[in-house]
Amino acid sequence: MPRRTQSGGRKNRHRPQRYKDVLHGNGGHRANDFRCAGCRLDVSLVAPGTAHRNHCPNCLTSLHVDHRIPGDRASTCHGRMEALSLTVRPDGEWMIIHQCQSCGELSANRIAGDDNMLPLMRLALRPLGAGSIASSALLTTL
Amino acid sequence: MSSDNLAHHQSTINHVLNTDTFSCVWCGLTVSAQAPDGTRRNHCPSCLHSKHVMDQIEGGPSACGSKMSPIAIAVLRTGDWMIIHRCVRCDELTSNPVSTDDNQLILMRMAVRPLAQPPFPLEAFGTL
Ligand SMILES: [Zn+2]
Ligand SMILES: [Zn+2]
Ligand SMILES: [Zn+2]
Ligand SMILES: [Zn+2]
Repeated sequence: MPRRTQSGGRKNRHRPQRYKDVLHGNGGHRANDFRCAGCRLDVSLVAPGTAHRNHCPNCLTSLHVDHRIPGDRASTCHGRMEALSLTVRPDGEWMIIHQCQSCGELSANRIAGDDNMLPLMRLALRPLGAGSIASSALLTTL
Repeated sequence: MSSDNLAHHQSTINHVLNTDTFSCVWCGLTVSAQAPDGTRRNHCPSCLHSKHVMDQIEGGPSACGSKMSPIAIAVLRTGDWMIIHRCVRCDELTSNPVSTDDNQLILMRMAVRPLAQPPFPLEAFGTL
């Protein structure tokens, strides 16, 4: 059982937080940027509409850095993740399904406000492409 | 395992699965575990739901065992369609081939869903 009476005496003694020299601080070189593994664009981590950018707004490519929990950055793979497909959440928001080109793992990620509309539309139209099951099925039902 | 052994192993599995059925975790339908093309089914052909039995990240069996909902269609470079499933309990994603007797209506609905709910006005694309 912890003895709370001792720490109780310290309660009012406020110790200022020590200054921490962290790598992701604002002063670091390119601290808020990453270079896209797909198109080599320098991308800012700050994205409109999301807390944390996890894919390139230009070509939608991502990196395999998370393990089981989004944002845990616990994966040792670091393979290139390509946009494979789209899904729609119950609230109507589009999610990109990424697949790692090294290990095959899948992840679902929210789109950002400044994601390039063209690759997004290309993904959305992919099942309806010429010769696909969808277009032949649509043609036979029309 | 040599390719001969592997082939024998596969035919043994197929033989066992010929009479094998499973009950869908979502709609309760009893379906044959073997798809028309002889491969092992991993989802119900009627409602397309699946069960979380394989661990995609570590490999091997998963202890989860929850229901998996179909959330997206992925088109491979070969033109083949895959169904992306997400586990309702642990959120893990899987990708599995579409069977010839899978429910076409649900497949189509999933395929066109993003276009029905675009996050930006489609007029921006003109004659796309
Ligand atoms: Zn890029
Ligand atoms: Zn990977
Ligand atoms: Zn079912
Ligand atoms: Zn699960």
